[in-house]
Amino acid sequence: MDIILVAVLGGVGALGFYMAWNIGANDVANSMATAVGARAITFKQAVIIAGVLTFLGAVLVGSHVTETIKGNIVNPNMIGDSHVLMLGFIASLLAASFFVTLATWKEMPISTTHSIIGALVGFGIIAGGDACINWGKLLEIGASWILSPIFGCILAFLVFKVIVKLIFSRKDPVESAKIVGPAIIGITICLIIISLFTNTNVGAILGITEMYLIGIISALAGILVTFLSAISLRKIQGRSFQDYDTVELLFRKLQIGTSCFVAFSHGANDVANAIGPVAAVLALSTGNDGFNALQAVPPYLLALGGLGIALGAVTWGHRVMRTVGGRITSLTNTRGFSVDFGAATTVLLASNLGLPISTSHTVVGAVIGVGLARGLAAIDLRVIKKIIYSWMLTVPLAAIFSAIIFIVLRMIL
Amino acid sequence: MNKTHDHFRVPLSDTYRRKSPFDLLVEHMGKIRECIDLLTGEMIQYYKGDYKGFSELARKVSAFEHEADIIKGNIRNHLPHSLLMPVDKGKFLWALREQDAILDHAENLVQMLDMRHTKIPKELQGLFIEHMMLVAQTVKTMEDAVENIKDLVESGFIKKEREETKGFIHKVHEAEYKADKKKYDMTKKIYQIEKKLMPMDEYHLLKIADWVDDIADHAENVADWLRSMIAR
Repeated sequence: MDIILVAVLGGVGALGFYMAWNIGANDVANSMATAVGARAITFKQAVIIAGVLTFLGAVLVGSHVTETIKGNIVNPNMIGDSHVLMLGFIASLLAASFFVTLATWKEMPISTTHSIIGALVGFGIIAGGDACINWGKLLEIGASWILSPIFGCILAFLVFKVIVKLIFSRKDPVESAKIVGPAIIGITICLIIISLFTNTNVGAILGITEMYLIGIISALAGILVTFLSAISLRKIQGRSFQDYDTVELLFRKLQIGTSCFVAFSHGANDVANAIGPVAAVLALSTGNDGFNALQAVPPYLLALGGLGIALGAVTWGHRVMRTVGGRITSLTNTRGFSVDFGAATTVLLASNLGLPISTSHTVVGAVIGVGLARGLAAIDLRVIKKIIYSWMLTVPLAAIFSAIIFIVLRMIL
Repeated sequence: MNKTHDHFRVPLSDTYRRKSPFDLLVEHMGKIRECIDLLTGEMIQYYKGDYKGFSELARKVSAFEHEADIIKGNIRNHLPHSLLMPVDKGKFLWALREQDAILDHAENLVQMLDMRHTKIPKELQGLFIEHMMLVAQTVKTMEDAVENIKDLVESGFIKKEREETKGFIHKVHEAEYKADKKKYDMTKKIYQIEKKLMPMDEYHLLKIADWVDDIADHAENVADWLRSMIAR
């Protein structure tokens, strides 16, 4: 019995790792491509940033979304039989991995998040009927899929407008950029620290739980980082009166910061797609009686997911970054900065709320936001249609795959 | 579809154009400037009675017109309905169309002049040359206006850059106005000496004044479309 269990756990772990690898190879690389395309960072730097920061994001903030996937879509108490549940999670992970692989091969702009949610619903309906699906949560998640690109769009629009109003419109754009740019980076740091304190054990470990203290600490860190980045930009001088090129150069440096932010929040949100089902299977196999949805996800599982994503970014992601980065060279650094900020803030917020969203779609939303702010010469909105089709396609298809795999597994085992 | 497959899922890369339509507009403008520069020099030779190499010019202008046409087609064919641009796409295309009309008229002009070598009387030569220079000046200022659109896009349409573009557009109007006035001077002068002219010569001289002036008119039209394109 024990040997079988170990084998099953090993298999599920490997599957989760494969899914994580897939996310790192494609999705993380996809979001890092903005910075690569705007030439803020080289491919090598992008791979390193993606590897390290997605790992950190996954381990530090990844637990919320993982818990949603683990126990909030399919209500485990309604199914009861832990053997059936375990098969179900394995079937979901198999179906999602298969679907993601197929979609990547066929170049469909689907999201790993959508496929895992679809897969969970598919097995849930077969195993326990539609009563065992947490429709309320599912509706919330569905709404977040529509809202996250819109939110990313609005944020990127606002950041770009701020850049235009406070930098480009000023008499000396370069001098203004040296103040405004670092200030936005400071805000970024502030946001990350707040989310670390409010959503992880960091606060408990350090013994800081009061809201006002968290506020003060994050504000101080933000100001410190603002100063540090302002100092690092001090030496760059504008060459002429309307020197937009030097402004872009300044933002090239600042975009290194925002691309770290992107990688971090990406890890925080997407690690769940790979690790959520694994965590569920682990909880089912170790828990004595039934399933405790509230049981915390063990950090080593998040680390495993983070490692998988990092490995994906390192082994395969450079290909994606190079190709996509080469296609979007018309993106300049101020635009890339706005896109990064809008998308990453949205994704981090969703992670804190425990909502699994699609990072790639949020990035597209942010790009459209900059376009609406008259920041891009031309963007093709046909991509919106493609994304909507992929929403409508992914969830039912992943559900059907997972249902079939589940039925087959139940017959065999 | 002959698209190569990389086996990525990247919705992001579908949103971008390889080349900005504004870059292509400036590229198209470059062809026009090059062609008008060449034309100006050769026309002055023609006015002075030197027809040597004029057929060669006609061939070159046709080649320019063809190259510009390819760029124009490239811009037009890659502006689908779903494309989001920071300016009105319709107005952008009108600016392009007017820009292209400049070369159509230049081509027409050299073809016609090549078919019949009309001698420009001594007393008209000065006026004709001045007129040609003013028309070339109109196109030159128009190029400044078109190129400034790129700065406008780069800066996210700030007021400062918009005012600058408007300034260039104003200069185009000024240059076109001067060219127009010069054309009336030419016409007046032609009528003054009409007793000395063969009817067919007189007709052709009047036509030359019109044909050359058409170039400035279309340059002004481009400026007008740019103006309405960048309006808030």
